[in-house]
Amino acid sequence: MVEMGQVSLHVDIAGLHMKNPVTVGSGTFAAGREYSDFIDVSKLGAVTTKGVSLHGWPGNDGTRIAETPSGMLNSIGLQNPGVDHLMEEDLPWLNERGATIIVNVAGHSVDEYAQVIERLENASLDAYEVNISCPNVDGGGMSFGADPALASEVISACRSRTNRPLIAKLTPNVTDITLIAKAVQDAGADAVSLINTVCGMAIDANTRRSILARGIGGLSGPAIKPIALGMVWQCYKAIDIPIIGMGGIRSGLDAVEFLLAGARAVSVGTANFIDPCAAMQVIEGIERYCVDQGVSDVNELVGALEW
Amino acid sequence: MAILQRECEILSHEQLSGTTWRIELSAKDIACLVQPGQFIHLRIPEFEEHILRRPFSVFQADSNTHVIRIVYRVVGEGTRRMTELACGDTVDIMGPIGNGWHLPNGARRVLIIGAGVGAAPVYELAKQGQNNGMDVTVVLGAQTHAELVFEKPYLDLGVDVICATDDGSYGFAGFCTDAALEAVDAAKTAGEPFDYCAVCGPYPVMRIAASFCREKGIPCEVSMERRMACGIGACLSCVLDTTDGKKRSCVDGPVFDANEVKW
Ligand SMILES: Cc1cc2nc3c(=O)[nH]c(=O)nc-3n(C[C@H](O)[C@H](O)[C@H](O)COP(=O)(O)OP(=O)(O)OC[C@H]3O[C@@H](n4cnc5c(N)ncnc54)[C@H](O)[C@@H]3O)c2cc1C
Ligand SMILES: Cc1cc2nc3c(=O)[nH]c(=O)nc-3n(C[C@H](O)[C@H](O)[C@H](O)COP(=O)(O)O)c2cc1C
Ligand code: FES
Repeated sequence: MVEMGQVSLHVDIAGLHMKNPVTVGSGTFAAGREYSDFIDVSKLGAVTTKGVSLHGWPGNDGTRIAETPSGMLNSIGLQNPGVDHLMEEDLPWLNERGATIIVNVAGHSVDEYAQVIERLENASLDAYEVNISCPNVDGGGMSFGADPALASEVISACRSRTNRPLIAKLTPNVTDITLIAKAVQDAGADAVSLINTVCGMAIDANTRRSILARGIGGLSGPAIKPIALGMVWQCYKAIDIPIIGMGGIRSGLDAVEFLLAGARAVSVGTANFIDPCAAMQVIEGIERYCVDQGVSDVNELVGALEW
Repeated sequence: MAILQRECEILSHEQLSGTTWRIELSAKDIACLVQPGQFIHLRIPEFEEHILRRPFSVFQADSNTHVIRIVYRVVGEGTRRMTELACGDTVDIMGPIGNGWHLPNGARRVLIIGAGVGAAPVYELAKQGQNNGMDVTVVLGAQTHAELVFEKPYLDLGVDVICATDDGSYGFAGFCTDAALEAVDAAKTAGEPFDYCAVCGPYPVMRIAASFCREKGIPCEVSMERRMACGIGACLSCVLDTTDGKKRSCVDGPVFDANEVKW
């Protein structure tokens, strides 16, 4: 018999120790401060911060979001104030609260990714997540993540700058995601996270206009969960490094499905907008599932899909 | 200031016109904290396929009874679903959110322009001005007399009310911005010019009012609407171009100095 509070929830992502398998989707949680009215950030497995570039980017023009069936499109365009701001304002705040920190890194060039990591090497944080998958910026972002050679170039450059856990964040907007996963594994990534958003569009027939100012945006939320689950499972069979799974997770059961498909940890993204306490509910739901199923260590669930 | 999340009971729900409804919520401590111009982020129940919350300004708040009221216009699927909510149902709201109106302490004559449901977010501001002994004029705009649902609550406050209808079916015949401009000029001629203006309504109304206020040297604030996801400043969905760069309309707004907005 296992009871609430007795389940071992700790997971290890190549040296990144998470007290439970739940982090938050980069870009949906800023650097945690805005959620502090609702959540104690130290209770999360980790906080994954908004993508950060070297000198900051202004992001795209509005309208930046559209609600779509069971999901939403966004075209934020990686608006961020730059790595120095993150180091001066956000990381100290997270560290004071005892949060485990994954910093999501963005760049327009291989060199920019590497430089952001170089700057961050002096800061106190636990892992890097390299975003080679954002559909919303010209140059960089998804174009790196859609080509195995470029993806591996970015990850090699980052790898040469750090010994900290290095996670490559993959895009689903490719023909075969396992090719990219293998390429980043070979280039030295310690883990992969997937999926970033799925390219899509929303049109208002009455005005005959695209709702997003840029036309194309990235789809997230429950609508993409089956795509994400499928890709996690494909990658689990193809690579040996741990996977952080994400895409439409709202509940503990959603998260467990990702673990069964092969993810060692999960991210809660868009669900934070539905309910600011969503990530905590997911943690509790995973624990509740373990209790109900007599599972004493959450790691037993990883890849435990049965046929 | 903390943002709270509360499960709130619907106390009453009434159709005010063909497209406008008023909903009354038992909002607990949110009702005590809310400042004029702030909003709540409401999750519409049994609306699973639509994942985002909907932002609504607080029309009236009563810190004694813990009641807040919002007035909403049916414009899409979410607001249509809201009309089916019944007394006794509960809704999950987050609030109070945002940067509200800044009524200057020394203001003597205050002009408030509320076009359509834009008359809701300025009610508590008018009340604040009135309670502080200021001379408050409220210009209400609607397309037709039937859609002009805010006249009574403002008259009950005891402020000066000017109504304008686009079709001329009631009050001033024409746009509320024209009625407001007349009031501005009359006040100036009488030697008692307005020294603060607050505007809420469709974009063109706010742009026109902001422009004549700038010309006449009247400090002006506007309440901007942007599509929102998180509603708490985290996702950068709702940004607005200002003279000071991009700002989040949920927490840096929704009320902005009109001169700061890049129209
Ligand atoms: C700060 C703020 C205060 C508001 N206060 C009021 C109020 O007091 N009374 C009132 O009637 N309306 C108010 N609105 C507008 C209200 O939020 C929208 O009318 C409502 O979200 C429409 O939802 P829908 O599902 O019916 O429309 P749909 O068009 O089906 O909604 C689709 C998506 O677009 C968003 N959206 C559509 N129109 C708007 C809009 N004008 N502003 C922001 N998002 C929009 C929705 O939230 C949703 O995410 C306010 C908006 C903001 C930003
Ligand atoms: C508004 C928004 C902003 C995002 N910003 C980033 C980002 O900066 N970097 C990144 O790697 N992913 C970003 N993402 C993708 C999410 O982290 C996540 O991979 C994706 O949304 C799928 O998960 P979900 O369905 O749980 O949201 C963003 C997603 C959203 C909705
Ligand atoms: S709605 Fe998320 S930052 Fe304003």
